[in-house]
Amino acid sequence: MSESTKSATLEIVRETPLLQLSMQQAINRALGEILDTDDRALIFGEDVGLLGGVFRVTDGLQQRFGANRVFDTPLAESGILGTAIGLAMAGFHPIPEVQFDGFAYPAVNQIITQLARMNYRSRGTLPMQVTLRVPSFGGIRAPEHHGESLESLFAHVPGLKVVSPANPQQAYHLLKHAASMPDPVIFMEPKARYWNKAGVDLAADEDIASLEGSVIARPGKHATLIAWGAMVSRCLQVAELAAEDGIELEVLDLRWLKPIDEAGLAASISRTRRAVVVHEGPHTIGLGAEVAALVSQSCFDTLRAPVERVTGFDVPYPSGDLEDEYIPNIDRILFGVQRVLEYRRG
Amino acid sequence: MAEVSFPLPDLGEGLLEATVLEWLVKVGDQVERNQPFVEVETTKSSVELPSPISGTVLTLHGEPGDVVLVDTPLITFTVADDSAGIVGTVPAEVAPKRRVRLSAVLDED
Repeated sequence: MSESTKSATLEIVRETPLLQLSMQQAINRALGEILDTDDRALIFGEDVGLLGGVFRVTDGLQQRFGANRVFDTPLAESGILGTAIGLAMAGFHPIPEVQFDGFAYPAVNQIITQLARMNYRSRGTLPMQVTLRVPSFGGIRAPEHHGESLESLFAHVPGLKVVSPANPQQAYHLLKHAASMPDPVIFMEPKARYWNKAGVDLAADEDIASLEGSVIARPGKHATLIAWGAMVSRCLQVAELAAEDGIELEVLDLRWLKPIDEAGLAASISRTRRAVVVHEGPHTIGLGAEVAALVSQSCFDTLRAPVERVTGFDVPYPSGDLEDEYIPNIDRILFGVQRVLEYRRG
Repeated sequence: MAEVSFPLPDLGEGLLEATVLEWLVKVGDQVERNQPFVEVETTKSSVELPSPISGTVLTLHGEPGDVVLVDTPLITFTVADDSAGIVGTVPAEVAPKRRVRLSAVLDED
């Protein structure tokens, strides 16, 4: 191929228009591509086959790839994860779904005692290439057990990786990246963002390095809001409102909740010198505590205020009619920002 | 809009087919989730089937008296692309509202 042809081809790739996809469609597309390129990949879970998933995320995949590769399971999450572990030991690449975050509890034993440590236990001879999709967090008015925030639980377990996309573009690329990893990855899909459409560049982020760590969703200079999943879009709204008051907030989308991007946190907060971490999960021993500790360690000399945490409350995740009182709202986040802005030493 | 077909489920244990007795909806009808849409008869009993989703009826696969096989399409709906899952509702896009104003003297030394 001549040099001119090469560059012409590259131009065409770059000029591919962005596809407008919802997160649910972006994940569906990524799953289809994974099944297409990875013969060992299998998708299974409750209603993922015939029905196409309760959120239509696996819609059409069983028709495309057959019921041997995309199949329904009994309503038994420990069985879904047990199956995944056995298949991974046999060399398959399971991509199971736990239908709702709150249904993951019956599978926690399998996840912690087998999935997370099989590679360690076998001295690397039995890696667990399992990509576990979990529709996560609240915001859709669901009943009990259908909205939970389990990231602290999973992130605490050695051997697991945990990631949560904030938009369709990330969902598409992070899922493909997670599926390419040799380790078990918990992929937490923010249910509240399933239906929001945004441009997806299918060719972007081919560089693996750009899929690791955190990203700056909005640059600013007076304080950094740290969030993941559905809270990223809420923090972007808060940053927009804060700008009306002359306060420029940076929004750092953590993306990977295990491992946490310590360098990315330090880089942002050493510039803004104030940090507010926002999450839906309960306050005590929430992931915000870990983020606060990391920031305090890396930015102790530059911080102008203690790291603020704006979180869910220390109560069971409430059902739909009360979730607006529980999930951090715009005013609670703004209060957190005000506290770091007005803090004075001594 | 997307098309979603609902195949005849196995209504007993190991049943292979059912006979359509009466359609309770017609093409073009808006059907709510859990709304009965057909009465079918198996060798064991006659039952009304509830719709698994909300949608508009696109196709009824069979006339009264026709035999439909398990796992073959019984009814096809058109559903909105942004319809919610089985549980919960699609969050409404609302303009962000605030009561808190920020006030800060920033000492950017």
